Amino acid sequence: MLTLLKGGRVVDPYNDRDEIGDLWIEDGRIIAAPQGRQPDATHDVAGKIVMAGAIDIHSHIAGGNVNTARLLLPELHRSRTAPMLPLATAKWSTYETGVIYAGMGFTTVVEPAVAPHQALQAHLELSNIPIIDKATLCILGNDDFLLGLLREGESRAAIADYVASTLAATHSLGLKCINAGGAEAFKFNARTFSLDDEVPFYGVTSRRIVEGLQQALLDLKVPHPLHLHCNNLGVPGNVETAVATIDAARGMPLHLAHMQFYSYGQEGEHHFSSAAATLAAKINATPNVTVDIGQVMFGQTVTISADTLRQFSATGSAKPKKSVINDGDANGFGIVPYAYRESDFINAIQFACGLELFLLIDDPNRIFFTTDHPNGAPFTSYPDLFALLMSRERRAEALSRIPQSVLALTTLPSLTREYGFHEIAKMTRAAPAKLFGFTDRGQLGEGAVADVAVYAPNGDIAKTFRHAHLVFKDGDLVVRDGRISHYRWGKALKVNPAYDKAINRRLGAYYEEHFGVSHNMFAVPAHILPRKDPFKEVACAK
Amino acid sequence: MVDARIDGKPASLEAAAARAAEILSRARLPVIAGLGTDVAGASAAILLAERLRGAYDHMRSNEIFADLDVLRQAGAMMTTPAVARLHADVLVFIGDDLTTIWPQLIERLAPGEIPPLQLELELRQFIWIAPPKASPVEGVAFKALETANLQETLAALRARVAGRPIAASEEETRRLDEIAAILNKAHYGVLVWGRLDRLSVEMATGLILDLNKTTRFSSLPLGAADDAAGVVQTSGWSTGFPVRTSFGRGYPEHDTWRFDADRLVESGEADAALWISAYSDSTPNWKRKIPLVALVPSGAQFAHEPEVRIEIGRPGVDYDAAEFAREVNAIVAREATQRSNLASAASVIANIAEQIGGDA
Repeated sequence: MLTLLKGGRVVDPYNDRDEIGDLWIEDGRIIAAPQGRQPDATHDVAGKIVMAGAIDIHSHIAGGNVNTARLLLPELHRSRTAPMLPLATAKWSTYETGVIYAGMGFTTVVEPAVAPHQALQAHLELSNIPIIDKATLCILGNDDFLLGLLREGESRAAIADYVASTLAATHSLGLKCINAGGAEAFKFNARTFSLDDEVPFYGVTSRRIVEGLQQALLDLKVPHPLHLHCNNLGVPGNVETAVATIDAARGMPLHLAHMQFYSYGQEGEHHFSSAAATLAAKINATPNVTVDIGQVMFGQTVTISADTLRQFSATGSAKPKKSVINDGDANGFGIVPYAYRESDFINAIQFACGLELFLLIDDPNRIFFTTDHPNGAPFTSYPDLFALLMSRERRAEALSRIPQSVLALTTLPSLTREYGFHEIAKMTRAAPAKLFGFTDRGQLGEGAVADVAVYAPNGDIAKTFRHAHLVFKDGDLVVRDGRISHYRWGKALKVNPAYDKAINRRLGAYYEEHFGVSHNMFAVPAHILPRKDPFKEVACAK
Repeated sequence: MVDARIDGKPASLEAAAARAAEILSRARLPVIAGLGTDVAGASAAILLAERLRGAYDHMRSNEIFADLDVLRQAGAMMTTPAVARLHADVLVFIGDDLTTIWPQLIERLAPGEIPPLQLELELRQFIWIAPPKASPVEGVAFKALETANLQETLAALRARVAGRPIAASEEETRRLDEIAAILNKAHYGVLVWGRLDRLSVEMATGLILDLNKTTRFSSLPLGAADDAAGVVQTSGWSTGFPVRTSFGRGYPEHDTWRFDADRLVESGEADAALWISAYSDSTPNWKRKIPLVALVPSGAQFAHEPEVRIEIGRPGVDYDAAEFAREVNAIVAREATQRSNLASAASVIANIAEQIGGDA
């Protein structure tokens, strides 16, 4: 079927295209304008914005941690309406997740924290998220096997083989490290853990773990660099940790997750202030790092993190007052519900910090849009956040509602920058494609998969982004004016780096001895997942 | 060849599925009960419940909600068998049913051994509160804390751990203090329990939270049989809620009293049932007779012969399946150990769903 999107503003920063023009789709791909052929379907999109489907690089949408949060908080997600499609309105279900993302024009979402031993559950959940493509980042850095390799001073190759074997077994797109060593240290009753602290029993520092994993991914030529959740999340004055961690990257690629939570100083009477300007300057000066924000938006949410040490320390501020802390085989997870309040000084500083980072980091290729769903805010608040970035009036209005004592402790009131559609497209399409090594999406070039979102600007930016006018997934029109017409099932994107398989024999023996089970017990066989051909490979560099 | 029966007489799978579809779609409030099945079976059952606007529940709900109700009211700290085995220098077992619930418990947690990932390589301390009459652990000594009232004993122990006075004899206090001292000195302790009542689970959870003010402690609830944990997880991602959820209004609503399958049947609110039991020959002991479709292994005995009965195989034995594995505290893929032609619950449910018209 030949489809024509006629006369829209095509915003495709990946291919340096921003013009009024046509877009042609055939057999699930974008094609060059065909000569002398009539389209089977024509959509007049004059006055509308045509972008590639958006890519969310960091959103906790699946796995045992997310599911425990669902079970912990039945009172926060009551359904209200009957669905047109199976389970589409079951609040916080996998089905609803796909429906809402697609309705906003997102077509690829990355679940950034899957414990290797929980990989099957994560993929089972992802398989039941309709429409969108998905991917996982698996977590290492608090696991006994890796810490043992580092303690024994084993070779770079051994670490790389272990990383590759884990990526392959868990069908992951990349690697996440969460408070490197901190969760393991918490099992030894550490209550704080910083970059140069040693994990008890192993004598290995957080810095050494990060270096080892960063190097392994470079050696394996995995496109996505180490995706790092630093130490000291949420702690006043932690900008120092963030800056030290950026230096620790030593010029090698590193992705720093949800940096809003690391942009805190200790000024003012509450000893809590925004240091976002300092952090943004550091990021601007360090081209080897990329960051996502983890913006806070006011309202009820729940924090879900494999940083058990940090989550345990947050249990006192849980709202509603209940939490789950799970010491896992490596990282485990902590679930702490939380309500960000507009009238709360600390929360208002956090809100400001995130926006400052968005507005002070110069290169939209190195900054990514996230709320660390659901940690800073649920992903459903993205449209409101786009509106804040695109309108300084909207920001001024938001600032008028927070405690005015906050204003002196942030540079936000002085920032006049406004994002345009081009920058939004860069941040949510082109840059994520580059970050993960996608050559087939995040763009509208010839040959790209026809994941296309069409927005109808109507003066209300949030509304424009909340309900996409049209969304095509693999060329299939699935959304009209924010409404899903039918389900289809996307893939989980994964890498498959080459490595020396000898490590698997060693892992087999290790699992028999330490876990008393076969290593194969944690495998994710494709045939056990509910959709045919559930995976799609993203190539590693040659 | 699938053994299918309608009113006790042999029938084709197709005819049985058609009759099942008729019974279930004609009901005002059908209930899917038992629900002892793997992830695929639970997924299919929940989607069917939605189409039927029915409710679903699991046969082990009383055990499921003893732990889950406390978790969602007061929170929880928990861990895995591997962490308990590798890290714990203190293991506390609660209750006389643990090795009945999980025969491999002792082998898995190795209470008589040295935890290999602790700083000091010493034998772990092993305490058993309310132990069984005959010790199931040969050659491994444990400190027994006998009790006639577990709730009171846990409360008293919690008080003594926190250094608070209790109304008890000197002898009793001394006994508790000895245990309390071990808990307070633990580097990483784990409480292990099976079937406990809610108050005991809440007290054990409170004890763990108190201990974590100064040291590390966690819990390892053993959970219930019939893949209860796998079904609850599947239910969680499918609807946001655990079992005891209904689609009477078209969207999922969860209520542990309203959607208790036994109550729905006995009260007459449910007017047809689908019973699923793939792991055991369990059958419902409802006094009230309602139209019943049963997906069960051969040999399951019913008080009233079901209108439709279809034989299914066992997950992980007759066919490959994803299910919760207690030994690793995760959903795992089990390869069939004795692959057969017996149908899976999921495939039979799919057969039934296909026979239901669009306006069911």
